[in-house]
Amino acid sequence: MMARKWFSRWTTAFLLGVLLFQASPVWAQAGTVLGRQTLGRAYWHVFAAYAVMWILVLGWVVSIVRRLRRVEERLGKE
Amino acid sequence: MRAYVALVWAVARKDLLVEFRTYERLTAMGAFTVLVGVLFNFSIDSAVVRPQDIGAALIWMTIIFGGILGMGRTFRLEEEDGALAGILQSPIPLDALFLGKVLGNFVLLSMMAALVFFVFGLFFSLSFSGNPVVLVAIVGFGVLGFVSLTTLFSAMATRSSMGESLLPVLVFPLLVPLVVYGATATQRLFAGRPVVEVSGNVRMLAAFAVLFTVAGAWLFRFVIEE
Amino acid sequence: MSHKQTRWAIGILGTLGVATMIVLHWMVFFWVPTESTMGIVQRIFYIHPAAWWVAFLGFGIVGLCSAVYLWLGDERLDRAAVAGAEAGMVFTTIGLITGPLWGQVAWGTWWEWEPRLTLALILWFIYLGYFLVRRTTANPEQGKRFAAVVGVIGVLDIPLIHVSVTWLRSLHPEAVILNPESPMNLERSMGLTFGVGFLAFTLIFACLFLASYTVAGYEYELKLRDANPGGTQRAEA
Repeated sequence: MMARKWFSRWTTAFLLGVLLFQASPVWAQAGTVLGRQTLGRAYWHVFAAYAVMWILVLGWVVSIVRRLRRVEERLGKE
Repeated sequence: MRAYVALVWAVARKDLLVEFRTYERLTAMGAFTVLVGVLFNFSIDSAVVRPQDIGAALIWMTIIFGGILGMGRTFRLEEEDGALAGILQSPIPLDALFLGKVLGNFVLLSMMAALVFFVFGLFFSLSFSGNPVVLVAIVGFGVLGFVSLTTLFSAMATRSSMGESLLPVLVFPLLVPLVVYGATATQRLFAGRPVVEVSGNVRMLAAFAVLFTVAGAWLFRFVIEE
Repeated sequence: MSHKQTRWAIGILGTLGVATMIVLHWMVFFWVPTESTMGIVQRIFYIHPAAWWVAFLGFGIVGLCSAVYLWLGDERLDRAAVAGAEAGMVFTTIGLITGPLWGQVAWGTWWEWEPRLTLALILWFIYLGYFLVRRTTANPEQGKRFAAVVGVIGVLDIPLIHVSVTWLRSLHPEAVILNPESPMNLERSMGLTFGVGFLAFTLIFACLFLASYTVAGYEYELKLRDANPGGTQRAEA
């Protein structure tokens, strides 16, 4: 049980880290004139869109797993 | 057929009789209408925008907000004194019960709508030179569609722990077509545009009203049964 | 399907879905060429319409299952409708967020009263109403029926909402894939990436839909056992 919890936490931390790493050059660029000429270089938007997709889908996965775990816990008690 | 109409009328008549004895909902809706008209008037900076320009749009918002206020109480009486169980045991078909409720609400809300037009016409100095029959058709179909939806959902809201505050969340998203067609048509008529420009709106409003009256009559049994 | 088969199906669908998703990411970020007029931001399109398709699929399931649930009263249909509504809520949110992210670059504004975006927002609120009704009704059996009524009315209203907001105004790029005049039609690699995107989303949707539906079934069985503790047999369907 404990191991699973740690695993899920570290996975989340890792994913967030990867996201930040990916986005860092974009943030550095966002303030510059060149960065604001968005048409050619809207990296920020693309990364945000894909991140949002992953976060929401994973959120749904987490909610399903939680419900399953609750059912399993109830069955385990009996 | 005639017996069915008599049943519908009996339900509507009962609701209206109760209302005209206490005037609870009409007082609430009427006072709301006038007070909102006053507040809207204060909220508009006439140095920036002419009140006449948005008066017709505000009319629709007032009808909807005030309508929600009154329609939310459609089943309050039945729920409070347990009369619903009695009605459900009587042999009346549930769609007739629904249509009766819709008819009763339609009469009340039409009275409110007339008051809204009068009050806002006065407060915002709106002038109407178009065809009154078209205006009546627009408002009539609009009110019918609105009343059908809210009557169905107010039966749900009465049994929810959120109560009447659930009603706007459920109904407002569904009212988008009604607001789009009703409000634009009214604004065009008040702006003196020809009737041809709004005939499509009238058709869509009629379709909306008929669709949800029929759907409501069919779905009502699933809402009202215990 | 037995429980074991269902678990296998969920596992296979999930693995395929994630694999296709990874392929899609590789294609989008490393393989497909940048579209010339819209630029980098056009890459959002490889997920945006796909999210839409799944959101509408979810809503179709909600409407269909709700209507048949009201008719037949089968609990499985109610569970399928709820799983569909969950999918709809998730993927409508994805569409609602990725759309403006693209629009901020292409239109210059975050929010535009553009028909499909408006419809998405309204759809989101209809889904919200669906879950609110279910949650707040005192009697859960009644809550299921109420939610089904909301689902049916919502699906009936969608075409009218769509027509009305389109009538108000339209700015959206028209069916960019199917339109032969569109610049994107030129590049086959882009079409392929689109296809992979749709496939990935559909697989992920199928996996999670089935998972949510199955878990809801377990929960239902537990509730049945709570209701009559004497009979421990499964109400296996």
